[in-house]
Amino acid sequence: MRKIRVFFTKLGRAKYISHLDSNRCWQRAIKRSGLPVWYTEGFNPHMYLTFPLPLSLGYESRYECVDLRLLEDIPDEQVTARLNDSLPPDIRVFRCAEPVMDQKEIAWADYDILLCCENGEALSRTLNDYFEQDEIKVWKKTKKAPKEIDLKPHFQVLEQALCSEGVKLTLRCTTSIEVNINPSLLLDNFPGKEQIETVSTCRTMVYTGKMEQFV
Amino acid sequence: MIPKQLEKILLEVQKPSQYIGGELNSVVKNREEVNVRLAFCFPDKYEVGMSHLGMKILYSLYNSHPDWWCERVFAPDADMEAKMREHDIPLYGLESLDPITNFDFILFTLQYEMSYTAILNMLDLAKVPLRAKDRKNLWPIVAAGGPCACNPEPIADFIDLFFLGEGEEVNLELTELYVKAKAENWSKEQFLLEASHIEGVYVPSLYRVSYQPDGTIEAVTPLEPSVPAKVQKRIIRELDKVFYPDNFVVPFTSIVHDRAMLEIQRGCLRGCRFCQAGFIYRPLRDKHHNTLNNNAKCLCQSTGYEEISLTSLSTSDYDELPQLLDDMLPWTIEQKINMSLPSLRVDNFSKELMEKIAKVRKSGLTFAAEAGTQRLRDVINKNVREEEVMETCRTAFEGGYTSVKLYFMMGLPTETMEDIKGIADLAQKVVDLFYSIPNRPKGKGVQVSISCACFVPKPFTPFEFEPQDTMELLHEKQKYLLSCVKSKKISVSYHDADTSYIEAILARGDRRLSDVIEACWRKGSKLDGWDEYFDPQRWYDALEDCGLDGGFYANRLRSYEEIMPWDHLDYCVSKNFLIRENRIAKEENKTTPHCRQQCSGCGANKLVGGKCFA
Repeated sequence: MRKIRVFFTKLGRAKYISHLDSNRCWQRAIKRSGLPVWYTEGFNPHMYLTFPLPLSLGYESRYECVDLRLLEDIPDEQVTARLNDSLPPDIRVFRCAEPVMDQKEIAWADYDILLCCENGEALSRTLNDYFEQDEIKVWKKTKKAPKEIDLKPHFQVLEQALCSEGVKLTLRCTTSIEVNINPSLLLDNFPGKEQIETVSTCRTMVYTGKMEQFV
Repeated sequence: MIPKQLEKILLEVQKPSQYIGGELNSVVKNREEVNVRLAFCFPDKYEVGMSHLGMKILYSLYNSHPDWWCERVFAPDADMEAKMREHDIPLYGLESLDPITNFDFILFTLQYEMSYTAILNMLDLAKVPLRAKDRKNLWPIVAAGGPCACNPEPIADFIDLFFLGEGEEVNLELTELYVKAKAENWSKEQFLLEASHIEGVYVPSLYRVSYQPDGTIEAVTPLEPSVPAKVQKRIIRELDKVFYPDNFVVPFTSIVHDRAMLEIQRGCLRGCRFCQAGFIYRPLRDKHHNTLNNNAKCLCQSTGYEEISLTSLSTSDYDELPQLLDDMLPWTIEQKINMSLPSLRVDNFSKELMEKIAKVRKSGLTFAAEAGTQRLRDVINKNVREEEVMETCRTAFEGGYTSVKLYFMMGLPTETMEDIKGIADLAQKVVDLFYSIPNRPKGKGVQVSISCACFVPKPFTPFEFEPQDTMELLHEKQKYLLSCVKSKKISVSYHDADTSYIEAILARGDRRLSDVIEACWRKGSKLDGWDEYFDPQRWYDALEDCGLDGGFYANRLRSYEEIMPWDHLDYCVSKNFLIRENRIAKEENKTTPHCRQQCSGCGANKLVGGKCFA
């Protein structure tokens, strides 16, 4: 048995597939591919798949991954090709390899965000004011009760630029199995959010605490 | 590219993936390279429509033609509809995301009467005029087919033409004709007239309906000499050779029947007198077990489904079922694919069969007893004896099953309170049987669920003449049934009588109901198959507004001589046969043997050259 980490993109129409549906979609794709994957051995055997970072509904991503276990030794390139033959068009595998890092090491993710609006300059100014506060306290839903947290230490603005549609942002947010800060959380609490018509978000990279690319 | 307008609203609605297409096996073509665009509309939500086999077959068939592009369209749920109207987004096809307003064909499948208002709502959302006469252009042609097309009169004013019977051939012939019409710049009138010459195509605007003073039909007359006085349905003679899709569109979100489906036969040989499907799909035809095994492998491979169901009206009547199961079991077990067999009969459910289906995974068992007493089961020609129900349940219990679901109907012709009590008694006997079996499953109680529908008389059945019980009587019978159930091991559920009453009006309605359906839609009806959206008052008000009496359609006994609204449509079961069966049922309480035992002369044999069984 061999562990394998499959890296893929989820773009276009696929952003409307929820995490749960995405999981089922993968199960069926793997079934169609005929790859010999390991099933759990419980009362109701199911395919063993783990997604380290669920992607929010409506987000695109250029860097997703899923871990699975193969019962036979099949070259990575072949696994990639067989999965791509079996997946819907907007989910594409670009790499398969033995996992190097532990899923627990994930600490940061980068997001490209496009904020469409009438007046990009005005929006950009209000965003600056918002981001430059000493602290940004918000209520975050957790499994137990909602909890107040300060977002300030959990994000960095890597880029903020005007574009024809409005404002382009590149954000780096805390993303780990324990604390996951979604860019939506930041924007939902943004006082100038009325100015924004639509938001498109795309996860572009995932890093460990040492700022190494997660592989 | 996803249109910006759509991007704006999709994250504000429930389950957006149902509105965006992009599923595996959905067919995307280049709009510039096709010459016919078809919108295949299912007038219900995605989760229902995507479960429907007929749509999958025709979708694949149309798309197998390189120049035609068929897309799927479903009724949006209320939240999505509100957003679409607010942002002025017309109804669109899931593959191209283009509005269907100017497609060549807008096709509807008519699976149940309660979806009629959804058809109007979808046409309106598509910005297409509701009435056929208000659509002057050659396109879009609004066409419909499916079981309810056997009496399409209530929606005749909205639809340009209907397909009668099975679609695999006639739909293509009609599309070919349309291609010619478009190339030669025909008017819509010319196209419809030519279309009416294709066997199996019914163009309602080419017929005039006149009425008697008492409201019954006087005559249905073709308006042109070349239009057939009677339109005969189409069937596929050699089912084994018919087109069958090698893949299904696999949805992202969960749907009602989320599995591969294998159609093993069409038609039914039983002739249960209440069952419309048992008559309009005659004669029985089946597929060879090798063909089916290959279809099944191919589908499981292309979809990745972990369940496959063998569908037909009566699966255990399929002659080659043992061979088929022997073919399929080895590979389905190896690939962890669960096989399900709906529509089993109690009179031929064997231990071997049960063991075979239980090998993969154990699911619940459901049997249709239909009526509580032997007398009434004989009236409806459900050739099932109580001993057989008991024997089947014993087999199931001894095989480890602990829950059984029994289907019944109430309001059947000649039914008395004695028959209603019989339903509870039968369920009680099943409970008692469980506890009398020494090797019953230990540590678990038994659960018997009674599910009771209200009988709706349907066209082309021997009961097409019969009145439906009034709602008061149905309510009384429901209450009485509850009072007869004494055990906690028995649960009872029943259908809403209001829905069945409206269904009865529409099922045997005439053209005057088009106004009622439109009025009802204007009052807000759009997804009447769903309890949360159904309001019977809208229907009662609409009937009153149009000056029509629901009781005339639902609760009236018809004479054998009366001209029915569907008598000019020929489903190849003769009216004389239906009258004969009606008499035998009511006057003699006698059953009719099934087609393999003895031909009862219904008339369907003419469709297969004289002999139904080789």
